[in-house]
Amino acid sequence: MAATSNTPLLEATGLRQYFQVTRSYTVKAVDNVSFKIYPGETYGLVGESGSGKSTIGRSIIRLYDPTAGKIVFNGADISGKLDRKTRDMLRVNMQMIFQDPMASLNPRKKIGDIIGEGLDIHHTCKNEKERDEAIKRMLVKVGLSPQHATRYPHQFSGGQRQRVGIARALIMNPKLVIADECISALDVSIQAQVVNLMKDIQQETGTAYLFIAHDLSMVKYISDRIGVLHLGHLLETGTTDEIFTHPVHPYTRSLLSAIPEPNPILEKKRTALTYDYKTSGIDYNKGTEHLVSGTHYVSCTDEEFAKWSKEAEVPIL
Amino acid sequence: MAAKKAVLQPAAAAETPYVPTDDDFKLKNSGTIDIDENYASQSYWKDVIAHFFHKKSAVVGMILIILITVFAIVGPGMNSFSYSQQNLATKNFAPRIPGLEKLGIFDGHETMSTSTGSYVVNNYQDNEEYSNLYYWFGSDNFGRDIWTRTWSGTRVSLIIAVAAALIDMIIGMSYGLISGYFGGKVDMIMQRILEVCNGIPRLVIVTLLLLVLEPGMLTIIFALMLTEWVSMSRIARAEMLKLKEQEYVLASRTLGAGSFFIIFRQILPNIIGPIITQLMFSIPTAIFTEAFLSFVGLGIPVPQCSLGSLISDGFNSLTTHPYQIVPPIIIMALLMMSFNLVADGLREALDPKMKQA
Repeated sequence: MAATSNTPLLEATGLRQYFQVTRSYTVKAVDNVSFKIYPGETYGLVGESGSGKSTIGRSIIRLYDPTAGKIVFNGADISGKLDRKTRDMLRVNMQMIFQDPMASLNPRKKIGDIIGEGLDIHHTCKNEKERDEAIKRMLVKVGLSPQHATRYPHQFSGGQRQRVGIARALIMNPKLVIADECISALDVSIQAQVVNLMKDIQQETGTAYLFIAHDLSMVKYISDRIGVLHLGHLLETGTTDEIFTHPVHPYTRSLLSAIPEPNPILEKKRTALTYDYKTSGIDYNKGTEHLVSGTHYVSCTDEEFAKWSKEAEVPIL
Repeated sequence: MAAKKAVLQPAAAAETPYVPTDDDFKLKNSGTIDIDENYASQSYWKDVIAHFFHKKSAVVGMILIILITVFAIVGPGMNSFSYSQQNLATKNFAPRIPGLEKLGIFDGHETMSTSTGSYVVNNYQDNEEYSNLYYWFGSDNFGRDIWTRTWSGTRVSLIIAVAAALIDMIIGMSYGLISGYFGGKVDMIMQRILEVCNGIPRLVIVTLLLLVLEPGMLTIIFALMLTEWVSMSRIARAEMLKLKEQEYVLASRTLGAGSFFIIFRQILPNIIGPIITQLMFSIPTAIFTEAFLSFVGLGIPVPQCSLGSLISDGFNSLTTHPYQIVPPIIIMALLMMSFNLVADGLREALDPKMKQA
């Protein structure tokens, strides 16, 4: 697994992202979320649709302006108004891989120009030749042929396009890549291909990933640490092992209990726990961070923590 | 995992003990197989051109536009007359074309209807010195050659229309793109300004402009420019609103691209289709507007002419010498029709949703 040093690469504290729809109605997409990402690790963010996973990703990379909270990335505060130097640092060192490989590549641009866009914007390369070399190297790295540089996106399959998207993000040698459901739009065999490619590249370059997904098995496979998100609140966070073997929060437990079991005998015994926020009596806004063990934290009140800790002794299966 | 490695890095396959040889697989048939060429799909513009030429009406329109443009360039120089050369002795001569006159048409005769009955006259034969005179489209009531005037008028109309449409495109497109991209308050203010501009009647603007500026081609282009860009900007804004949330635009932003790079380098190439279509539709509108302004007397000053002023002139003698109004009207009708046909063909060729396999 990736080496974790003590200074986090990215630290979000009390991140809030609200969207004002009308004067009287505000959507609280992300509410008081705090987490850390260490250099070279993969942090998986899971949760159901609409829980704010993608919004967190977009707030961090500053496609949105966060309503409140502090984001420190690579030693610089990136939550407020960005000055030129900070923005350039952010735009080089943090990159994003998008969900839909069909929509994330400009249909009128050649693959080479798409991949080289970052180089062109930041004038990283001294001359044309150096740029072309960098693009070719990147194409080979993601398993495409250098000749593909002159083709257009519509000439590629979904998996190939997603690899182009990965190449575009990685050519800047970023310290953090936000993978926003980057495998959701691909079929299962291609998902494995892309995830393995991402893992290989991580081993080679040591970039950190913020891996946003709703596929738990995939998150378990790729992540070092996981955060569970529901209705904009980060309910539970810890290493993959801690979350999967010892889930505390009822929502996490219900989420994990929904994973199908490959063994048919166990699958028959599996009971999916139900969880409904409205009837559960839990108020996410009252929750505070409670340490379970190691790096495993759960957000709840003291009474809830005592109750759930007891329940959590019983394995889900 | 191992299988996937082999796909990505062919070198890894070397670990496997068995290396396939050519003898493992043999083609059942002759040994030649058809290479699938579907993969090398056509480039976008090749595709567009193919679709455009597939539509006959668009091709007809294009040929007509080219023909009329060529005549607008060379037509005025094809005979010895100039567009402003007057000869009152040879006024209101009917069309006379060498060659065709032997067939009894275009030989310079016309039927005059008077209160004492109608009779046929031929001005060319009445005087010996006009026997070698040929006004191909006839002459107007100042004795000017209508052929020369028609083509120089076409030239003026085309220049005005194309220039106005191009300037409209640049202004309208930039305005719409910027308004749509920034959204929010910027969009709100820009759209209100646009509505105010759009609310002022064109005739009022032009009349006021002609009080301030000298009448002429530039003034008309300026007047058309002031009012025509609105529709272009609406189209550009609508396309921008559609595209700006696309992931490739977001990707460009995460790479640190500036707003103007995104607007003009990322999004503009994707909306060039609707823009070109709108441009082609706005050219006939500009021709028509210019003709209308000339017709009501706000256009090109004499002795210069445009299609509109020619029609206006011909209209005055419509009942006595109907041949004078026919050439400019035919040219104008053909131009309007051709531009619309071409625009229609382009719209279908550029819009992938309207294409049929």
